[in-house]
Amino acid sequence: MRRVVVLILLYLLMQAVLPLGEGTAAALVLMAFGFLILGAYSVGELATTIKLPKIVGYLAAGLAVGPAALNFVSTPVMNQLAPVSELAIALIAFLAGAELQLDEVRKRGVLLLKMMTAELTVGFIGIATTVAVLHRFLPFLNGAPWPEILGFSILFASVAVVHSPAVTMALLSESGAKGVVARTTLGVVLLADVAVVLSFSGALALARVLAPPSGNAGVGVLTVFWEIGGAILVGAALGAIVAMYLRFIRRELFIFAILVAFFGAEIASVMHVETLLTLLVAGFVAENWGGGEGEQLRHAMERAGAPIFVVFFALAGAKIKPSAVLELWPLVIPIVVVRAAGIWAGTQLGAWWAKAEPQVAKYTWMGLISQAGVAIGLSSVVAGVYPERGEEMRTLFLAMIAINETLGPILFRLSLLRSKEATPESFRGGGH
Amino acid sequence: MSASLVLIIVVATAYLATHLLYEWLAKRLLIVSGAEYLVLGILLGPQVTGVIPIEAANSFGPIIVLGIGWIGLTVGMQFYLPRLVRITGLTFRLAVIESLVTLGVVGGVLWWAFPALGLTSEFWAIVPALALGAIAVASTPAGLDIALRDRKRREPVVNQLETSLGVNAFVAIVTVGILFAWVHRAPVNASRPPTPTEWAVITVGVGVLGGTLFHLFLGEERKVDRLVVSLGGAVILASGTAAYLNVSPLLATLVIGIVLVNTSRGRAELRTVLAGAERPFYYVLLLLAGLSWRPTTSWTVLAVIALYVFTRTSTKVYATRWSTRWNGATAQLGGDWGKALIGQGRLTVAMALDYARRPELPIGDVVFTAALASVLLTEFAAARLVRAALLPIVEPLRDLAHRLPWLDAEQEPVPGETSVSPESGEFIAPTADGASTLMRPDDDDSGAKR
Repeated sequence: MRRVVVLILLYLLMQAVLPLGEGTAAALVLMAFGFLILGAYSVGELATTIKLPKIVGYLAAGLAVGPAALNFVSTPVMNQLAPVSELAIALIAFLAGAELQLDEVRKRGVLLLKMMTAELTVGFIGIATTVAVLHRFLPFLNGAPWPEILGFSILFASVAVVHSPAVTMALLSESGAKGVVARTTLGVVLLADVAVVLSFSGALALARVLAPPSGNAGVGVLTVFWEIGGAILVGAALGAIVAMYLRFIRRELFIFAILVAFFGAEIASVMHVETLLTLLVAGFVAENWGGGEGEQLRHAMERAGAPIFVVFFALAGAKIKPSAVLELWPLVIPIVVVRAAGIWAGTQLGAWWAKAEPQVAKYTWMGLISQAGVAIGLSSVVAGVYPERGEEMRTLFLAMIAINETLGPILFRLSLLRSKEATPESFRGGGH
Repeated sequence: MSASLVLIIVVATAYLATHLLYEWLAKRLLIVSGAEYLVLGILLGPQVTGVIPIEAANSFGPIIVLGIGWIGLTVGMQFYLPRLVRITGLTFRLAVIESLVTLGVVGGVLWWAFPALGLTSEFWAIVPALALGAIAVASTPAGLDIALRDRKRREPVVNQLETSLGVNAFVAIVTVGILFAWVHRAPVNASRPPTPTEWAVITVGVGVLGGTLFHLFLGEERKVDRLVVSLGGAVILASGTAAYLNVSPLLATLVIGIVLVNTSRGRAELRTVLAGAERPFYYVLLLLAGLSWRPTTSWTVLAVIALYVFTRTSTKVYATRWSTRWNGATAQLGGDWGKALIGQGRLTVAMALDYARRPELPIGDVVFTAALASVLLTEFAAARLVRAALLPIVEPLRDLAHRLPWLDAEQEPVPGETSVSPESGEFIAPTADGASTLMRPDDDDSGAKR
């Protein structure tokens, strides 16, 4: 609570000095960045005292200072801070990949594949059907012919099934949970991420056939293959370099961690490959071929990335538009409920199919509700291909993500507590 | 290839290469690493190869401000009052005399030289002259760190050097802070533009208020992982606020550092966090300084560089020699300890960047060039200069320690007991934990408890 009072004083102090400033954009961004770190960190700490994950606090802080409320972090400032989010995604993806141990993949790979397949399939069918049924009420499908309804329903569902590796990693890092529910959730989220990128490309190609976009917008099949295949190649090469560094040099890991993430994100952008997958593969290769030094790098990366993660989630909170949720709630609520039900049913089916442990069947679904950056990214791709309808679809996605982004971490925390893989104390004392 | 990618590759390669070579170079050749980043920046920048265009270089402005703020905070964290009060008056006197004489002589010579060389009007010459005078005061501690890394005994001359380095940094930062307040542009939105005195008060106020609020914010926090977040946010916010107000981020964060180190119980942990990022920040600052540097062959600028380096070096050497003699301390300190203060490094670069990024100040490129040239010329040799300055006075003490083992540092000295001229109070004894020094990074609550 003391920190919140200090923050209010800091905010008032900044408001007092604002008229004295020269108004340079860079300095203003730096101020906002610093305040966002302190603000989100404090509200995150406060959240733990009312038994919420820190990440919900970060989101709430972002929402409070973002354009929807105080507007201290305005849209131009958020745009200036976009590289921070890119860096955070790179760090999160690398850490997520590094969490995958080769032995575990060998042992539980088939189980994870079955769980992921069942969960994604059931969720996908459920959401696509709901969108098709609700098409009269959806602005981007109102009055459209059936082939277009089918195409957009598939496209919508292919984005809506996605999870949030960032939220999953953040909660696992916060709680230090390493049990079977935690690891299954992470495994499913990571595998689903790769699968969704592939299936989204297919859905987009199908949608372009059923509902041709105006002009020549869109992405070719070869481009999609390169985005995925190239990401694996580039990621493996980057991972091999990191592994060699860990084997032979092993020093200054704090700085090295930041450089790896920066370099990975930049090289993925330059090579036009999928950033998340590139860093995921790099993390996996570095962890499993790094001569047992991967844990030190992970720790260094968590430490170096702590302020970046805080800002990443705060920025995600600042992007939430409560007005959009309020406007679209009659449409959003059914889709959110169907998605959650699909995830639950899919994981039950998957757990039965893979003969998973009872606690996996019981609790894993709760860790799969979260949505954040990947979903926003994919919806932006849709908006790029279908400028008008895609933008309307994106607004609906943002409203949906706002709910899943808030409820997801709470549910995942609950699942880790109920499965006894984490304690309230571990949440209070953990990482960022 | 994008400019950002090139920069990342360069930073990564240079950093790793330097790191691999650093220990070896430092140990074998007593070379301080750093200036090569400056050269690298120049080579990559728009003036030479143009690999990184000027627009990309300009976009790194916030990183420069953050780096400047980080260095200011690191300097401020050295001024732990319980430690300062244990330093003798003579040590402080010598350090302050050396700082003020350097400021006065270098500033005075350049005040005369700038109009004489036709670089600026007589009226405006005071601003760059004072800035370069302040920059001249700053010396790098890197040479001392490398030269003394394997030593256990701490001789009075080492304490003098460490105190002088701290006082130099303080005088330099306060001078530029006041200078920036003095020549501050009137803000567009303010109903009444603050006076220079008010700007100076605002600068210090940002530091005091920021330091107090961050102290309250940090509370009892001791976990390094959490301090990274809090301290990172604090430095970014304070540097951003100072930059937004167009006052000195160095002075504001220096004050924050002083407040934090004297109020926080976790000062050792705070220092750990700061130290972890200080060298990388310095390298990035050097690289960015190199990118934005426009080297010139204009004879007037070369004359300024020559005049600056010559005046600064002579003043450091002779001012210390004469002041030591006048204070009757030659026997303990020798006459050449001023040589150890010739090297310039991170603070110099930070101050030069802080001056050059302000378009309203005159001949920013000349000030920037002179400061960076001095870093290029002196930093590599900083450790050698320290050794050359200390050997004549330290070696006989070593021999004495060998012959009289009870004097050796391996035998625990009594805390607070003096070993050199206790009656005159000239120097306090070098205790096992180096408690007499301003610069030791590992002081903690032990100092406060004594």
